[in-house]
Amino acid sequence: MVDMISRFKTLLATLALVFLAAVPAAHADDLKPLVDGLGKSGYAALKDAVGALAATGDPAVAPILQSLSAGDLYVRKSDRAVFAATKAEGGYKLTDPATGADAGTAASGEIDKIKVNNAVREAVTAARGSLTLMSPDIAKRRAAAAEMFRNGDPAQIPLLDQALAKETDAGIAATLQLARAAAILKSDQPDADKIAAIAVLQAKGGRDVLGQLTAIEASSTDGAVKAAAANALSSIRGTLKLWDGAQNILYGVSLGSVLLLAAIGLAITFGVMGVINMAHGEMVMLGAYTTFVVQELIRNNVPWLFDWSLAIALPLAFLVAGLVGVLIERMVIRFLYGRPLETLLATWGVSLILQQAVRTWFGPNNREVGNPSWMSGAFELGNLTITYNRMWIVVFSLVVFAALMLVLKRTAFGLQTRAVTQNRPMASSMGIRTPWVDALTFGLGSGIAGIAGVALSQIDNVSPNLGQGYIIDSFMVVVFGGVGNLWGTLVGAFTLGIANKFLEPYAGAVLGKILVLVFIILFIQKRPRGLFALKGRAVEA
Amino acid sequence: MITAFILRALDRRTSIVLAVILGIGILLPVLNLATDPSSPFHVPTYVLTLLGKYLTYALLALSVDLVWGFCGILSLGHGAFFALGGYGMGMYLMRQIGDRGTYGNPILPDFMVFLNWKELPWFWYGFDHFWFAALIVLLAPGLLAFVFGWFAFRSRVTGVYLSIITQAMTYALLLAFFRNDMGFGGNNGLTDFKDILGFDIQADATRGALFFASAAALALGFWICRAVIASKFGKVLVAVRDAESRTRFIGYRVEGYKLVVWTLSAMMAGVAGALYVPQIGIINPGEFAPANSIEAVIWVAVGGRGTLIGPIVGALLVNFGKTWFTSGMLAEYWLFVLGGLFVLVTLFLPKGVVGSLMTKGSRKPVEKPIEDVVAPGVAAGQAAE
Amino acid sequence: MTVTNEPTRVAHAKARDSLLYLDGVSVSFDGFKALRGLSLVIEPGEMRAIIGPNGAGKTTMMDVITGKTKPDSGDVYFAGDTDLTRMDEASIASLGIGRKFQKPTVFESHTVWDNIDLALAGVRKPFATLFHRTTKAEIARVEEILETIRLIDKRDWLAANLSHGQKQWLEIGMLLAQEPRLLLVDEPAAGMTDAETAETAILLKEIAKTKSVVVVEHDMTFVRDLGVKVTVLHEGSVLSEGSLDVVSADPKVIEVYLGR
Repeated sequence: MVDMISRFKTLLATLALVFLAAVPAAHADDLKPLVDGLGKSGYAALKDAVGALAATGDPAVAPILQSLSAGDLYVRKSDRAVFAATKAEGGYKLTDPATGADAGTAASGEIDKIKVNNAVREAVTAARGSLTLMSPDIAKRRAAAAEMFRNGDPAQIPLLDQALAKETDAGIAATLQLARAAAILKSDQPDADKIAAIAVLQAKGGRDVLGQLTAIEASSTDGAVKAAAANALSSIRGTLKLWDGAQNILYGVSLGSVLLLAAIGLAITFGVMGVINMAHGEMVMLGAYTTFVVQELIRNNVPWLFDWSLAIALPLAFLVAGLVGVLIERMVIRFLYGRPLETLLATWGVSLILQQAVRTWFGPNNREVGNPSWMSGAFELGNLTITYNRMWIVVFSLVVFAALMLVLKRTAFGLQTRAVTQNRPMASSMGIRTPWVDALTFGLGSGIAGIAGVALSQIDNVSPNLGQGYIIDSFMVVVFGGVGNLWGTLVGAFTLGIANKFLEPYAGAVLGKILVLVFIILFIQKRPRGLFALKGRAVEA
Repeated sequence: MITAFILRALDRRTSIVLAVILGIGILLPVLNLATDPSSPFHVPTYVLTLLGKYLTYALLALSVDLVWGFCGILSLGHGAFFALGGYGMGMYLMRQIGDRGTYGNPILPDFMVFLNWKELPWFWYGFDHFWFAALIVLLAPGLLAFVFGWFAFRSRVTGVYLSIITQAMTYALLLAFFRNDMGFGGNNGLTDFKDILGFDIQADATRGALFFASAAALALGFWICRAVIASKFGKVLVAVRDAESRTRFIGYRVEGYKLVVWTLSAMMAGVAGALYVPQIGIINPGEFAPANSIEAVIWVAVGGRGTLIGPIVGALLVNFGKTWFTSGMLAEYWLFVLGGLFVLVTLFLPKGVVGSLMTKGSRKPVEKPIEDVVAPGVAAGQAAE
Repeated sequence: MTVTNEPTRVAHAKARDSLLYLDGVSVSFDGFKALRGLSLVIEPGEMRAIIGPNGAGKTTMMDVITGKTKPDSGDVYFAGDTDLTRMDEASIASLGIGRKFQKPTVFESHTVWDNIDLALAGVRKPFATLFHRTTKAEIARVEEILETIRLIDKRDWLAANLSHGQKQWLEIGMLLAQEPRLLLVDEPAAGMTDAETAETAILLKEIAKTKSVVVVEHDMTFVRDLGVKVTVLHEGSVLSEGSLDVVSADPKVIEVYLGR
């Protein structure tokens, strides 16, 4: 935001320079009396002077008005001439506001600053809008038209008509029409015109129109106009509601993809192997910290690679988290197979150790993980705003899911994993080295958690507590979707994500989350084995 | 009937334990009040308060053990019952502040004045009476446990599933109590207490009385647990832990048993929380954190689940260790120790300290009464089969 | 038990006279049909052996009768008009149906005595057990059962320390203590020595004098020792029924057992 504003300022300054260079001196002389008019005392007079300057339609007026609203214009007490002044040694350095030509210096006692109030500022803004309406630069005309639409100043109607007549760009013309409609609504033109204007605004729709229509509906005394406005409002609100719904689904899909990423590794360790790993969240955290380390190295050594940092971090995060997973399995979990509650406690201990290790190593504070350029920014789709990082994470989560499905269904390793989890003694007697399969499967689940960490580092704070925020949600997703069923995890993640975002507007973020938790708790009562439960004797035994 | 039930449990061993707990409960406050600070026998007030806190932890551990050690229900949410009891007491203590708060409002606690509330929410009514608060300390956790358990046990949610949803329960409460508009002080919780039952909460004598109350509550909790375990009811609990469906096929409605013991356990945890708050001087949503509940489980695991002495010993041991560690130079490494404890105890000391000592100490374990013997390979998970 | 059934549902006159009545019972798990239209009638005081290859549906049948699994369709009535499909395990057990599992399951951390004591017919409600005091009659009854199953001198042993065969007997003892009207016994001879097997057969025949017993067994010698009516299950329904000699001569049974 701040960035945008500063960029905008630079743009204005550049524009001002361009103008200064282009304006011939003779022309500036014609402006001189009008510029000096700014020096008259009283805000009303000042406002009039601004109007007079704007009425010339001279592009050179724009930088003068810019200086005025920036508070750079001063009036010389001796001759009431107006200058732009900047502080210099011993007083002020004066320049001609129109040409930028040097006009000597003055002591601070010799000049008075021209003060502006809000009314004047508004007049300046409107005036600058009208000036740029005629600009040969399309971008500037577009911006000016939009500005006019926001202000909706009845005094500008003639100017708008003038601009409309000349405008060749269809988009800008449409905006000008809207601006005209907005201006008419504020004017005292006949009701028929106003109703027509309302129709124009209604056709545009969207949130920015709502304000203007609401004002008309509230202030209008005339029945027909009021009714038309009310009508238009309800129609626009209806459309907006649909868009809101769509936006909520989008947010929900985004949250769902995050849940999916966090839960998908768990779906393997808990769902497929039946190992309850409370240190799962810490695997996600390790992945995020791997991303941090990779980015640090790139920043310090090969900055041009930064856009590739995530791609480099992905395999590394998989390896780091996967390796830690294999170690945990070999050192702790394998002694606890068939004792799920003990596994739960031991892995909780592991999670404490991992958290503290990271805290000791990297410190307790959030670490900065940057977005590569292709992950920043947003684009608009209709009335929807979609940020690139959210979009890529949705895509990424689906890709990871598909890849995992492929590994489990189509590779020898996947076959062995499924064999071992279904019938360990049988698999073992067929020559499958079950301990290795256990360790590798656990490593796979952990490694995927690590990959999730890379993605989550883009939207969450990278701190030692990162993992804790995901563990309960992940379990909820896996349990809700049905243990042992990856498709269940997919559906579970997106269902919970969307449900969460739909509840938020009504219940607030925290209450929404609580409601979802309560819902899952109740759901487990009804279907203790989840949405896509395996049924049968084997499961219940 | 109830007196007979409770007196029946008073065998020699139980009497000794009760005498020791109550003896400490009287001795330490006396040493604090009656001796000169320079005396070698003097117990400083801060030590008394610290030990009082441990005693409430021991009661919490006992309540966790009652459901986990004897019925196979691993609760990762007992901290919620503890905290609810704590909030019940905290609300009473808040009302006792009266107009001595920063804003001097005679009715509204400071945080409500700060939030610009005009009147007391309905659920704060009655907390100016101690008896009412005491009732809520028992009823609030009890009711939550009853409703939760009624749903969970009836639909036969067992094993890790149950553990996970108990964790979700306390997590949901954590989120809820963080909200200012819940009316429980939000993030900051309830604090700045002045009086309890008209006595200055900071005074040494009050501290001594609170310490004794904690010891007495622990003793009573131990006694009740002993009575429950010694009854036929207790035998059914252990049967449920060892072979749940067998118990059903004999004709016991398992969910009823679980519900009773679960609710009882939650109420014990609530009492522990209520005694904890006046000694610590604050209750905030942090007490609902899932990590707290799991920490209570590790006390039980260290001491030895399935024994009644175990959780008390475990809670004291681990918390002594924690205090010693976190007050020294090694403070930063405490989480390594705690984490290591989880791993090592589950791997190498599944019966806990007390359980292991008992098995070693008795040559003929077969003739021991049930509560002193941990079954070979006691895996609470087996109950889930 | 307060289970009431509208008379229309018990249209079958046969159900009224029988102790256990199964008609057209079907159960499927995710498409796999464990039982398909199984019908079976056990008379009061009858002892019945049920045999069948793996996957014939023997255990699922036990699950349906004891309330662990609800049938998709079909009727299950006990003692004429009690609809078992609407009851849970505990209520069915209280009606007087006892079950012994294939794998012996006793309460390992309880003593032999406590195992029998827990199974003893009588108090079942939580608060009743909380305040229950053991009566002289109960002590006598437990001792009597321990005599019957020959574990009286191991009364204070933990069940975990018993041998496999002793656990089987302890479980049968627990069944007796329940004083059931119908016993469902799943492979009682599994893992026993020949001598133990023979003794178990004698014990079951003794029990069958006063109660109805359904025995599921693989061991043909054992079934022959029992000398009772045999039902052969195959793929979830009854293949053949009659004395052991009759069913062994049945060509359908021979085909199933010897392959096609």
